Amino acid sequence: MQNKQKRMRVYFTGVGGQGTLTATTLLARTALEAGLDVVAGEVHGMAQRGGVVESVMLLGGWRSPKLDLGEADVMLGFEPLETLRGLPYLRQGGTVFSSSDALPPVGVSLGKAVYPDMAHIESSARAIAGQCLFIPCRELGRQAGSVQSGNTVLLSAVCASGVLPFGVDALEAAIKKFLPPKLQEVNLKALELGRQVLKG
Amino acid sequence: MSNNPLLHGAQGERHLLLGNEAIVRGALEAGVHVVTCYPGTPSSEVPDTFHRIGGEGRYRLEYSVNEKVAMEVAAGAALGGAMSLVTMKHVGLNVAADPLFTAVYTGLPGGLVVLSADDPGCHSSQNEQDNRYYARFAMLPCFEPASAQEAKDMTREAFSLARRLEQPVLLRTTTRISHLRGPVDFDALPAPQPKKDFQRDPARFVPVPAVARKRHVVLDELMARARQAAEESSFNTIAEPAEITKLGIITSGVSRNYLADALAANGWEGRVRVLELGMTWPLPEEKICTFLAGCERVLVLEEGEDLLEQDIRVLVQRRGLSVSIEGKDDILTHQGEYSTTLVTRRLARWFDETCPVREPRSMEPDLPGRPPNLCPGCSHRAVYYTVRQIFGDEAYYSSDIGCYTLGLLPPLRTADFLVCMGSSISAGSGFARASEKPVIAFIGDSTFFHSGMTGLANAVFNQHDVLMVILDNGTTAMTGHQPNPGMQQDVLGSMSSHMDIETIVRGMGVTEVAKVRAFNIKALTAALNDMKDKPGVRVLITEEPCVLYARRQLKKVAPQVAVVAQQGAEAMRCLEELACPAFYRHGDNLEVDATLCTGCMVCLQVAPGAFKARKRQG
Repeated sequence: MQNKQKRMRVYFTGVGGQGTLTATTLLARTALEAGLDVVAGEVHGMAQRGGVVESVMLLGGWRSPKLDLGEADVMLGFEPLETLRGLPYLRQGGTVFSSSDALPPVGVSLGKAVYPDMAHIESSARAIAGQCLFIPCRELGRQAGSVQSGNTVLLSAVCASGVLPFGVDALEAAIKKFLPPKLQEVNLKALELGRQVLKG
Repeated sequence: MSNNPLLHGAQGERHLLLGNEAIVRGALEAGVHVVTCYPGTPSSEVPDTFHRIGGEGRYRLEYSVNEKVAMEVAAGAALGGAMSLVTMKHVGLNVAADPLFTAVYTGLPGGLVVLSADDPGCHSSQNEQDNRYYARFAMLPCFEPASAQEAKDMTREAFSLARRLEQPVLLRTTTRISHLRGPVDFDALPAPQPKKDFQRDPARFVPVPAVARKRHVVLDELMARARQAAEESSFNTIAEPAEITKLGIITSGVSRNYLADALAANGWEGRVRVLELGMTWPLPEEKICTFLAGCERVLVLEEGEDLLEQDIRVLVQRRGLSVSIEGKDDILTHQGEYSTTLVTRRLARWFDETCPVREPRSMEPDLPGRPPNLCPGCSHRAVYYTVRQIFGDEAYYSSDIGCYTLGLLPPLRTADFLVCMGSSISAGSGFARASEKPVIAFIGDSTFFHSGMTGLANAVFNQHDVLMVILDNGTTAMTGHQPNPGMQQDVLGSMSSHMDIETIVRGMGVTEVAKVRAFNIKALTAALNDMKDKPGVRVLITEEPCVLYARRQLKKVAPQVAVVAQQGAEAMRCLEELACPAFYRHGDNLEVDATLCTGCMVCLQVAPGAFKARKRQG
């Protein structure tokens, strides 16, 4: 069943409590439903108390639930500072889809550190990535009905871009199959907003 | 819940499962009757999944008070004829080692599988000990899955062997395996298996010296049978490339994945023979020797300690084989986690090839960090703040294991040393006696029941001078809000009984006891001042539900939030000394993020003029 599939590594990064692990699982289920070999990896525990949360999804026959610096073909950043911090994981010429809505860490809130300029974050990403898109995910999520659904905007946009071996329709089917009924309407709206980002 | 695939998925179905969920399905397919645990990352999703799916009468799950007790209850259940599973993180097995080392002598007719979830890389642990040592030390057959599918299949096989040999079997995962997600093809879920009737046999089950000596002989015989199972195990496989090569790699655990990916990424599959070990103890010596006989050079690839390597070196020497063995070196160290890149580096050197791994781009320096932190509205912050106001750097702070270890961070800085679960009171006792300094020991409610109670008994008995603060947030917060005896009865339900911490403390003979609400700074301050200069053992119990637990499980949300009423020095002092994550600076001003503020109102008490309450919007 494997070997013929294109191998691909996807790196997810965000902030504890944001829902990046849920998003990772949804995308991995989408891949499995699409008939692809998939393994995903995440780290729980201490890391969740407001810290950085990283996860991975490897498609096409990779066995390792992990990736290394320079190995990610696609990077999904759910928070721009974490996108910047995670850039070394991206291979030269890889793809970045990131939220542009900042969640300042405590050091910044307390005035002890400075949040990097968005223009700097974007230019740093563009210097490495072949394709790069920053999306106001939280804002679009809010439009769809909940800040959390901004994650679905990001997933939808990357699916619509054609960079993954499945499209928005596959994600839509997975949302309908795997998300609880009460979350579906908001997430399907978010999916539509993500699709429009790519068209617009 | 009732249509959960773990409980109802039929043979042939495929589901994406967390490694730990796959273990649950494997145990169900085996017919598990009893599950005990003490939660600990990365093992916790195993009992939590059993808890979540309910089980419909298939099994009985308990959250035990510590790992030793969990092991004993599970061992007793297996003596009573039940197929039993006990789960814990790697350091938990140290706590549970005593019963384990004896259970292997008597054997357990019902069958016991011990899950040890190790944490190379210390993602959420205080060390990266390699519990494959326990397989050798205690004499346990050992399985090490490397995928979600294997996590299920090996769990089922581990139960089968445990029942067949009537011996405990070790299922050893690492963080990456427990927390990977992968497709799992289900096998049939049989009807619950019959339990075995206990046959009284003190000459086997009561290991007085005369019995123990005989049982040691039996144990050796059983391990010889386990070795035969390893020889025949379908989890131990040899891959031969099309072209003949004299290079071989022997590997186990998660390293099997890194090797497969390193070989595939570089087109090196044809250059080596590979022996993958899934049932890793006892070693399938004949299979290994057959493999070695076809090799001139063999590289042993194992994350963690050099256990396979040493055993294989011994085997080569004993059998007089002429093959060179390589293993741990400057690249393949015993520290941290392995990776595809690391394995690629080592293979490139081995094959005498230019290393295909490019030097990684470095991280941009000086990015603002995002360390884990106590949550906004966490009651520990209020206690730590007040303790620091009163004791400052005069006292020494003996910490323990839980979210509250994060008190080590500035500005609270209320953790000076930490040994292990439950050590705050006992290590604090020793420190105080040696240094003659004031010592404050912090411990959470679950950790108090785990092993803080014994330390407190000792402190009373040996007349130590120590102030113990029990940070009772009403749940096992760090690992995901598992039940513990301190939780309120209405939350625990009908299957567990509440135990009152204050009654226990007084029952142990402590006379200086106070209990206050953690968010009541005035009462906290009064209690601490009262206890400050008294000698002997003093216990302050601070109560307030974990803020996450209150919101998610108890559905409690405070009706008000804090806002800044008066900018200036007082507001800034509160920012500097309390450092609630809901605060943020806006120019020269301090603001409170209303979406993060939980309404604990501690800041109103710390700096009364600077803050005021207002009604929560929306």
